[in-house]
Amino acid sequence: MSRFCKRAGLILIFVTPIALSQQEEEPNLGGEDILSDEIIFDDNLFGNVFDESPNNNEESWLEGFTVRVSQQFYGQVNNHSVEPLPGFSFPRKAEMENNRLGLNIRYQNAFAPGWLLQASGQTRAYWNEDYEYRANGGKIDAEYRVNEFFLQRSFEQNSFKFGRQTVVWGETVGNSVLDVINHIEFRDMTIIDIEDARLNQWMVVWDYFGEDSNWSSFINLYPEFNPAPVRGSPFFFEPQFNLTDYKRDGDAIFEVGTQWRKSFDLSDISFMAAYLYENQLRYEDPINNIGDALAKKNDFILLGFSANRAIGRLLLNFDLAFSHNVLADNFNLPGISSLASPLDLEKDQIGTSFGFEWAPDNDQSLSLGIQAQKVLDEDKGLLPGQQLVNEGVFGSWLVRYSNIFLNNDLTLASTLQGDLEGDSLLAMLSVNYTIDDNWTVEAQVISINSNSNSPLIFFDEDLRIGTTISYSF
Amino acid sequence: MISRGIKLVTGSIFLITFAGNTLGQDLNGFDIMKLVDDAQRAANDSSFNRMQLSSCKFGVTDGRITCAERPRVKSLESVAKNYGPELMDTKSVTITIEPAAERGVGMLSFAYDETGRDNETWLYLSALGRVKRIASGDSDEETEPASLFGSEFTTEDTETGKLEEYTINLLEETTTAGRDVWKIEMIPYEERARKTRYSRQVHYIDKERYVGLRSEMYDQYGKEVKRLMASRVELVNDIWMARSLTMMNLVTNRLSNMAFVEIYTDLDIQDEFLTQRTLTDAAYRETELENLRAQLN
Repeated sequence: MSRFCKRAGLILIFVTPIALSQQEEEPNLGGEDILSDEIIFDDNLFGNVFDESPNNNEESWLEGFTVRVSQQFYGQVNNHSVEPLPGFSFPRKAEMENNRLGLNIRYQNAFAPGWLLQASGQTRAYWNEDYEYRANGGKIDAEYRVNEFFLQRSFEQNSFKFGRQTVVWGETVGNSVLDVINHIEFRDMTIIDIEDARLNQWMVVWDYFGEDSNWSSFINLYPEFNPAPVRGSPFFFEPQFNLTDYKRDGDAIFEVGTQWRKSFDLSDISFMAAYLYENQLRYEDPINNIGDALAKKNDFILLGFSANRAIGRLLLNFDLAFSHNVLADNFNLPGISSLASPLDLEKDQIGTSFGFEWAPDNDQSLSLGIQAQKVLDEDKGLLPGQQLVNEGVFGSWLVRYSNIFLNNDLTLASTLQGDLEGDSLLAMLSVNYTIDDNWTVEAQVISINSNSNSPLIFFDEDLRIGTTISYSF
Repeated sequence: MISRGIKLVTGSIFLITFAGNTLGQDLNGFDIMKLVDDAQRAANDSSFNRMQLSSCKFGVTDGRITCAERPRVKSLESVAKNYGPELMDTKSVTITIEPAAERGVGMLSFAYDETGRDNETWLYLSALGRVKRIASGDSDEETEPASLFGSEFTTEDTETGKLEEYTINLLEETTTAGRDVWKIEMIPYEERARKTRYSRQVHYIDKERYVGLRSEMYDQYGKEVKRLMASRVELVNDIWMARSLTMMNLVTNRLSNMAFVEIYTDLDIQDEFLTQRTLTDAAYRETELENLRAQLN
């Protein structure tokens, strides 16, 4: 921990002179002077923007690039022990988890009328003490990933996008029951928002922009599934059998869906329907207990409705989802299933997410989202003695608050999330300081509390602190 | 992170900044402000603007207003068009060009002239992956109207029309910035007073060019809380307009300058461009923007 704190301190020392160097000679801020008619205002204060000739020239293709370089330190700082079962405990030592340099590149180029190419990717270098460094045998490791990569063609009322992309449904921010199309990866505790966890997939998306309403339809040509935890990450545990991706064996699987959306005065509504695969694979023990765990996929039908309503500075959100033939036990993992849990039992499920966003002024915003789901006909198909993993109403809640200070340069944000049963609570506090148009620095504190009824029991009393410094251009 | 308070720059910028040609002189305060308002709407109809929005903490050094810190600068492109039977409503879309971290952030806004009807705003953020409605609503004397892109300009400062909701008095004829001006006072009636933070506004209108050169905004306690300064008054398409507007917040000592770097009006803008499609369909947006740019040459 001490080494971690030293590194964090080094970053702050590094950053502070940058911020201070921008402070020019402090002018008089007295209100009386400013109100005097003798005070001269000269808009050259903001540079000679009017002296520059209008730029109607062809843009260089290089101008389509946006680049962000970031260095992140993150660690669990609370030495403690966790007792998931009575009499069974294990230590949780304070240690560095993330020490990594990231490069994110985004490119967008409308290279011809009606055509657009968009791509984004990231690379990470894992330094000493990063969990990926340790998992790599104590050697520096690197990883590359393509995120978006699509070609768009728009003509008349239509737009087609071919390639890797995301499709987002639902109005509730952060925990919508309709936001299930793309698979997700919460790789470690630095990613707790679904907006950061969503992964792109190979799709064709067709948008039709009608006079009064819009249609958006997609075909996912290569459905992917939530990846298993990366070895060494806080979410990784040594399974009895290796958790592998779904083995397609030549299967041509696909997903398809469509959404109709219309805006009214102060309100938007949409209806949707889709044939999907559950993003979470179901793992079973291998045959004869030899080899890797068996990954099973499950297809289901989703019907949904979403709406919002603006009332002054309050925005109400509502989502409704009906899922036909979802697995009642899709979080099954080899070695921990029991005969009390049903296997391969398909159920219908209804879910809703609703909440509000409220901005009392220009600096503060508050949002609340509640997600609640229920398996229908719970007892149907259960053998004597079996019970569902999720009985009754289950779900989560999410509260986000942010406040802006120092002329929009400092943002204080907090997130609280937990399950409806009150078994766990994750609290996050972050401070983001924009040094200038290129440099930002962010610090986060994340605390988790849980009882043994929640999977988060393995992170009970964890306290993480971290900082990230970024340069964008 | 994008401020929750950012708000689309509507095409109809600032009640007092654009004006028509010289008219007769036997005008009362309402007549003058009505002419300014009408000219403003005309100047913004079917327009394409490139703007630079700069904000900083300010102070006074050697008798001059200066920034106490490096200004934060945003580059924006905005397209606006008027609608409705008398072209009193405005639809506009604004795209952020710089800084890099906010590039591509787009906002669509429908500003309605009708009394009591809330304006509407939608935002597109690539991180969200979808169009999102923003509840901006009306403000009141206790709550602050939504800010424009985190600047000191607010939605209330951008509103046009609704002059009937004010008592408008011509106070005197005087001079400011070396120009002969009418000093006009606007006091909201009871219903309007419930929706505004300003209990009184004073505008200085150039008598020759019908351009507002300065405005003072007072709170419910009679204290001046904001001041708007206009400069670089130029004739654009036969309409005098101020290309540089600076809003000084006298409570926070922060100012924002909006520089209209390029202004083009009377363009052929497709109605479909001022819809949510422009936010999500980048191929369409860029094609239509190219068509607009072609009209500029």
